[in-house]
Amino acid sequence: MWSSTAPNKKISLSRIFVTGMGVISAVGNSVAENRQGLVNAICGIRNELNLFPTKYSGLLPFGQITASTDGLMKALGVSDPGVTRTSLLALHAFNEMLADAGLSLADLRSPETALAGASTVGGMCLTDELYADANKNSNGSPYTSSYDCASVNIFLQKHFGMNGIINTINTACSSSANSIMYGAMLMKNGFARRAVVGGVDSLAKYTINGFHALHILSSEKCTPFDEHRKGLNLGEGAAFLLLEKEEDIAGKKVYAELTGYCNANDAFHPSSISDEGDGPYLSMQGALNHAKLSAADISFINAHGTGTENNDETESRAMIRLFKEPPAFSSTKAYTGHTLGAAGAVEAVYSILSLMHQEVYPTLRFTNRIPSTGLMPVPEYRKMPVQHVMSNSFGFGGNCSSLIFSQA
Amino acid sequence: MVYIHQAYCISPQKTFQDVDLELLHEPVDKKLYAIEPSYEGIPPGVLRRMGRAVRMGAGAGMPILKNSPVDGIIIGTGKGGMEDCIKFLNQIVQYEEGLLAPGNFVQSTSNAVAAQLGMMSRNKSYNSTHVHRGHAFENAVTDAIMQLRALPGKQFLLGGVDEISDFDYNIETLDGSYKKEVIAASDFYTSDTPGSLAGEGAAMFLVNDQQPGALAGISAVGMLHSEDPAAVTAAFQQFISTHIRGNQKIDLFLSGESGDNRTLKFYAACESILPADIPVARFKHMSGVYATASSFALWMACHILQHGRLPVHTLKTVVEVSSLKTILLYNNYKGLQHSFMLIQK
Repeated sequence: MWSSTAPNKKISLSRIFVTGMGVISAVGNSVAENRQGLVNAICGIRNELNLFPTKYSGLLPFGQITASTDGLMKALGVSDPGVTRTSLLALHAFNEMLADAGLSLADLRSPETALAGASTVGGMCLTDELYADANKNSNGSPYTSSYDCASVNIFLQKHFGMNGIINTINTACSSSANSIMYGAMLMKNGFARRAVVGGVDSLAKYTINGFHALHILSSEKCTPFDEHRKGLNLGEGAAFLLLEKEEDIAGKKVYAELTGYCNANDAFHPSSISDEGDGPYLSMQGALNHAKLSAADISFINAHGTGTENNDETESRAMIRLFKEPPAFSSTKAYTGHTLGAAGAVEAVYSILSLMHQEVYPTLRFTNRIPSTGLMPVPEYRKMPVQHVMSNSFGFGGNCSSLIFSQA
Repeated sequence: MVYIHQAYCISPQKTFQDVDLELLHEPVDKKLYAIEPSYEGIPPGVLRRMGRAVRMGAGAGMPILKNSPVDGIIIGTGKGGMEDCIKFLNQIVQYEEGLLAPGNFVQSTSNAVAAQLGMMSRNKSYNSTHVHRGHAFENAVTDAIMQLRALPGKQFLLGGVDEISDFDYNIETLDGSYKKEVIAASDFYTSDTPGSLAGEGAAMFLVNDQQPGALAGISAVGMLHSEDPAAVTAAFQQFISTHIRGNQKIDLFLSGESGDNRTLKFYAACESILPADIPVARFKHMSGVYATASSFALWMACHILQHGRLPVHTLKTVVEVSSLKTILLYNNYKGLQHSFMLIQK
């Protein structure tokens, strides 16, 4: 079975809907557990990390998923020697999405079913094994073909015997927003009938030290959009969504419509956003244009809101530029930590939960507005009418993407 | 059709400046290292901070971006900057997670090539990096096809990049990707042993939907994950029957054969279903093996179509090659990820 892409097909105008979801994060192991945590202000970030030895364990807060890697292997019935924590988290969320959507194995294996995943860490969560293999200090660990980002989706492809187009995207912290977008584009172009889209990252000594070297890890639980924010907390997570076309959703439960998306670049600095937030402004504006909505139509923004000095101020500026008076907005990274390549997909699920339940989740621990922008994120859980949610993901390399989900 | 209007390639062969494909550059220590140019136009301070993949990507991409504004940058890379990645990892271990300089970390992310190109050309439009190993470049091509259909009349920079680093070479050696023995370049396809030679390079293309003046066009891309030669042959057959029009003739089969006796069966199977009079050319003795080597093959196909001839050392059997208009490419990576591409004048 194979899939091909040729430039002469017609673009389909059919609308794209979300018909299944699965998520695992420090907040919980399922969509229901995550919502429980979000509603009840239960933060998944803790001063504890026991996945691997690191001097930052106990010193810095992390959004670690409680399940151990061995526990995940057992629970998932996986015994492949080269499987990584990243792939296991992905499989966990994938399984939930699959059961939730009620997608048959035959449909999953159809050449018309694409998989667009994302990861920035891949198998590099195995920092010590990678160190030994790369420096010839070993006879070869079982992980020599598991370090790259593609290893996760190759594992999922083999595990389920998928036959459609398979892709992995890495645009740093906006990766899984782009994989959602890529899956939708494959469908609109007739290269897939349906697409499993999402992303995953697990905590790694590598990323912890990288972000620490950039001085953007907070020593306390992060406080997005707060005047005295001290940086971000790293987290881990995985989320997958099933996208289906309008003509295929009859009789199915439908969570939301994916109405807009845009990818733009800030073209300013490898690891920070320009003062006026050009990239964020362009991606938000582009998503509105794509959805044929105006700024006033957006009910709520799931902000990127990492809690760093640079992000929260530039994102605020870009929101003010575009919306004049921005709608209600919040950052759920205060619950999960920054799950990097998974963040776009995890927060797509949260955005859809807001649409489904007509509620918004607070930015935990917020106290003071940033003086130069004066914006206040949603301070506590509340019910409100939510029709269109914008979800932002911005990454290193200036990679900015925004998605819009609308009530189905 | 996606039309290619400019093509630049930094590779182990003389493909970048004063192109000369007749003279074959040989591997060193089982590695085919790219011949890097002097990178004129990139400020020395910026160049110094770049890892090898970013440098090659910027070097091959900037000549296009300098003269042609684009509406997006789409890159495929199997591993991005592995050298910077392990350099940073080694610092973590050596300095026991002390205070580290973040340079290598920032350069090691796979999207650093597309990001650097965006930054240097101040391009604020679409910017994407595909990393699905042996399908990274094919997904980038697919992305370009989709962008052009959504935005008719626009143009994009499309590229494939991967680097050789000692660290990645060690990992891939443990994974069985490279030959244990040293082989002469002339034995590349005949050694009958497992593994191949490491390669690297960057190939960059200016693509749009306008035919006038184009070097070549991509009319279809196929992708398949399978370890079964019969499934690959069936897909190959179907690709041909779907995309080759009735009276159209395949003038050249460009095969990704890599001298690895474990994957030869796939190439042999695909070759076997083609009419015997179709000439077969190979390219991995020039590029070596890497996840995005199909981007080198696309550059070579453009070169062949443009000049109407190809170097004798690329031909599997010496035949007279005439009228080169349609090239069919088949490539596989690690015997799992297969791809087909139809390239036309």
